[in-house]
Amino acid sequence: MKIGVCMKQVPAKDAPLRINDAGTWVREGDISYETCEPDNFALEAALQLKEKHGGEVVVLSLGPERVRQVIKEGLAKGAERALHVRDDDFHSLDPLQMAAALAGAAREENFDLILTGLQSDDHGYGQTGVVVAERLGWPHATIIMEIQVDGSALKVKRELEAGWFQWITLPLPAVLTIQSGINKPRYASLKGIMAAKKKEIRELKRADVLPADLAATMQTQKIYVPQKTKKTEFIEGAAKDAAAKLIEKLKHDARVL
Amino acid sequence: MPEERIEREQLEADVVIVGAGPAGLACALRLAQLIQEHTIQGGDAPLTAESIYVLEKADELGMHSLSGAVMNPLGLRELVPDFEKQGAPLDTPVTDDAAYFFTQKSAWRFPLTPPPLRNHGNYVVSLSRLVQWLGQRAEKAGVNVFTGFAGSALLVEDGKVVGIQTDDKGVDKHGQRKANFQPGYELRAKVTVLAEGPRGSLTKQLVKQFSLDAGANPQVYSIGVKEIWEVPEGRIQPGAVWHTMGYPVPTDMYGGGWIYGLQGNRVSLGLVVGLHYANPLFDPHVAFQQYKLHPFVRRILEGGKLVRYGAKTIPAGGYWAIPKTYVSGALIIGDSGGYLDAQKLKGIHMALKTGMLAAETIYEALRRGDTSEAKLKSFHDRVEQSWVKKQLWQVRNFHQGFEHGLWRGLFHAALQQVTGGRGLYSRYPNRAGHEHYKKLAQLPGVERPSFKPDGRLTFDKVTDVFYAGTRHEEDQPAHLLVADTNICATRCVEEYGNPCQYFCPAAVYEIVTEGDRKRLKLNASNCVHCKTCDIADPYEIITWVPPEGGGGPHYEGM
Amino acid sequence: MADTILIIAEQRQGKLNRASLETLVAGQQLAEAHGARLAVALPGKSVAEQATEFTTKKLDELYLVEHDLLEPYTPDGFTVALRQLIEQLQPALVLFPHTYQVRDFAPKLAAGFRRSLISDCISLRLEGGQTVFTRLMFQGKTNADVIPVGTPPVFVSFQAGAFRADAVKDGGKPEVKKFAPTLSAGQIRSKPEEPFREAKQAVDLTQAERIVAVGRGIKEPQNLEMVKKLAALLGAELAASRPICDEGWLPMERQIGSSGQTVAPKLYLALGISGAIQHVVGMKGSRTVVAVNKDANAPIFEVADYGIVGDLFEIVPALIETLEKGGAP
Repeated sequence: MKIGVCMKQVPAKDAPLRINDAGTWVREGDISYETCEPDNFALEAALQLKEKHGGEVVVLSLGPERVRQVIKEGLAKGAERALHVRDDDFHSLDPLQMAAALAGAAREENFDLILTGLQSDDHGYGQTGVVVAERLGWPHATIIMEIQVDGSALKVKRELEAGWFQWITLPLPAVLTIQSGINKPRYASLKGIMAAKKKEIRELKRADVLPADLAATMQTQKIYVPQKTKKTEFIEGAAKDAAAKLIEKLKHDARVL
Repeated sequence: MPEERIEREQLEADVVIVGAGPAGLACALRLAQLIQEHTIQGGDAPLTAESIYVLEKADELGMHSLSGAVMNPLGLRELVPDFEKQGAPLDTPVTDDAAYFFTQKSAWRFPLTPPPLRNHGNYVVSLSRLVQWLGQRAEKAGVNVFTGFAGSALLVEDGKVVGIQTDDKGVDKHGQRKANFQPGYELRAKVTVLAEGPRGSLTKQLVKQFSLDAGANPQVYSIGVKEIWEVPEGRIQPGAVWHTMGYPVPTDMYGGGWIYGLQGNRVSLGLVVGLHYANPLFDPHVAFQQYKLHPFVRRILEGGKLVRYGAKTIPAGGYWAIPKTYVSGALIIGDSGGYLDAQKLKGIHMALKTGMLAAETIYEALRRGDTSEAKLKSFHDRVEQSWVKKQLWQVRNFHQGFEHGLWRGLFHAALQQVTGGRGLYSRYPNRAGHEHYKKLAQLPGVERPSFKPDGRLTFDKVTDVFYAGTRHEEDQPAHLLVADTNICATRCVEEYGNPCQYFCPAAVYEIVTEGDRKRLKLNASNCVHCKTCDIADPYEIITWVPPEGGGGPHYEGM
Repeated sequence: MADTILIIAEQRQGKLNRASLETLVAGQQLAEAHGARLAVALPGKSVAEQATEFTTKKLDELYLVEHDLLEPYTPDGFTVALRQLIEQLQPALVLFPHTYQVRDFAPKLAAGFRRSLISDCISLRLEGGQTVFTRLMFQGKTNADVIPVGTPPVFVSFQAGAFRADAVKDGGKPEVKKFAPTLSAGQIRSKPEEPFREAKQAVDLTQAERIVAVGRGIKEPQNLEMVKKLAALLGAELAASRPICDEGWLPMERQIGSSGQTVAPKLYLALGISGAIQHVVGMKGSRTVVAVNKDANAPIFEVADYGIVGDLFEIVPALIETLEKGGAP
């Protein structure tokens, strides 16, 4: 099986975000980055499928130079190769363009399967996987908990809302978006890290993979820290005092006790 | 650890360096330079850059590196002569030097900045950024830098260090293997270099096993608690380097503060306190919070925002506390060896230099195919002949002079200044830090610190820990080994009032009361890897070992 | 002819998804502002019954998009069918509730028109004739104002709870039309099986009046004991954010958030929950939210009525003590 995994690099969860002066993105230099958590589960799922069915895992990433860190991590954990769509201004692309660029990079590879996390921790559009499938003319399934491969068909367990699940059969090639927590992602090994240095990272440019006539259809005017919608009443003081005050308020003001 | 035998993969390297800080990376980089110089001259180098392994427990380069920091560029100049051109991330040259004495309400500026605190020609740097830069250069030179891997044990065979074992990953808190268990490697090396920073856990093993501290003064440490703030424009100019003495550090203690102006309206500030105080209830973090409330400091910070927090120990024992730093198959460099100017509290340049000298020693040893103790002793000789020794010798008795507090310390320091470092005696002795504690019974009227942070200028430890960005895999064995928690619950309660709650700047140690019994509760995942507990616990029953690699603080820009 | 705003409503297993009504509120606001015609489409096999609720609402047209192959739901079937409807109506705007099903097909539908889905919006506003949509980024740490550009249709989905379903305006007399898409079995590539529940749910959190929820801040499973005690004293059900259920410390049916339960109790006490958006969408409809977190900047405080910045290991025991002293509520 030849499996592509779309992996994104996002600001680290605990990174104090500061927005750039134009209000269009965060201040890049100020923060540390990490692999988008859901994509880690997608990578692990891909590696497990490869170990079971043979084949190859290829990391697909879009973004500036720094994205190599994520790519190297993927290679160190066991992916064979990587495609890096190098784009310093990737955050100005809309979700359709981002997915189209990844699909463009994937097209020539003739993957059997493409996996990605269900949603990114930065933009959070939650549509990359689905649109990659559409651009490639493939079927897809989202929020997947379990994957079984049977010849040229996939049987996957999809999570629905409110504790419901559903098995779906679909033909290969296909795209799946992976639910977080479905496996325990492995650690990179020393040998894996060394081996990764020799693995191929093919660099592509936006123009190589994104059709020039595919214009952005949405534009981010401004990113900002939200004004509170609710006025939070902070209760201060030592634990005991705060606890007593809170219970008091819940009883008499909010009347929920 | 599980009892079942773990099959470990073995890897062979020429040189294994534990710790990608300034010392370890300078060693790697200098080795790579020597290989390159040799190859250019048409020779066969005795090793390749690829066979140099640097292990770093942080998940990214520089994330466990913290310093004030004002750097003397001497070491970096020797390692990378054109470092400015090469884009070394030096925040800003020192533009303004000042020293102040603080009383609780006032600040007195010393009319002349005392010579040890003069910093012209030095740079204010973020050590974490500098380390990232050095690490990238080492990687570019072909060195294998492995982040997210800790050195867990020394491999010693027939009195020779033959390598180290890396951390087991994917072990749960009961010692059971998880689905993603990955055993640590046995990394075998011709030479192992310990560059773990202050109070290295492998260094501690090595020093003990080979009695390397015989004849040396006990190493003493200080703790530095630091925050970076972003403040309104115009509060402090970039390159301003201000040191303070006095409040809030009691005069019977050693300590002082720093305030450095960084680019972009940022301020690095912190408090250093010698970990050899008598009052077991003293809390360096609380003292630092009080420091920020001093009118002089408050004026700078008011209206600003906390950006980052961290803490780290500093080896301050000076020349007489340096253990033997060479054994068969291994060297100890940088802060792990105690190579730090205790008077100026500067060690980055010495870390770089001892790393380079270690590299030269190793290169020579590998060329001769001899990594015995006798051969590696040449590291010691090189240090002795270098400016490292010269600078250390000048201040060899400085810190010991403060054994009995500020005033006597200043007296000795002044005397040493005019006697080339000698002072009253040719060698000042000192005791280990934890031996300075007095029992509560001897300290009538001493009170537990009761500080209420305001959440704007001052914070509690847990909040500060959030700003250290510290993160650990929660489900792993505790990495703070307390040999006998009964002592915590009984003797220590009585005798010292559980100082772990106070000296730990990250709220790792908590004494909980259950009924009429006390119990030590470890919040290991708060740990910022400063090692204070390993140093300052009065019974010496706490051992800090590295947690699963990749865990720890995120000292972005620190 | 005036522009059309089209709302794609959702039904499942014979019931209208209430989130569809919230989206209708957004549609009504926009239709009014732009003087547009408002249409609702409900796709399925036979949906007249589920659509009845719309017949009294203020809207212009109601499309029953019916085909045997639209039951069960498949992304291929829905995309083919809705594409035909959109081509016929040529709406300026197509609005969806941001459900799991919408996430599965709407990006595909939009991409077919060479459009992005402006996904998971929390609000909208008009600025000089331009509609500005607000969505969350960085897991709720920031908002982003987004505007559509280029030729319509514009595709937008709204987060559950973004609008209040009870604000829907009645009083319309929509023309009910059947729309029969051309759809063949060969166009549908995935074969879904019957949905099932993983385990019998021991507790229905959606019915709970009070909920005490714990997050990462609880650190260890044994710390749940004190929280259970607190919950019992408050007469509350215990719930958790995803990481806790991932660890297996609490069963998955007690998980609140986008992949778990959506709840709206009278009291929601969040302990050590940072407030990642995935969690917040599942609880922000609660009447009174109390958050205890050591991080004063934790996004959970954005939705909290009462906040305590502090260590839950201090606060929870203090709450227990207070409640024990004062007697149960």
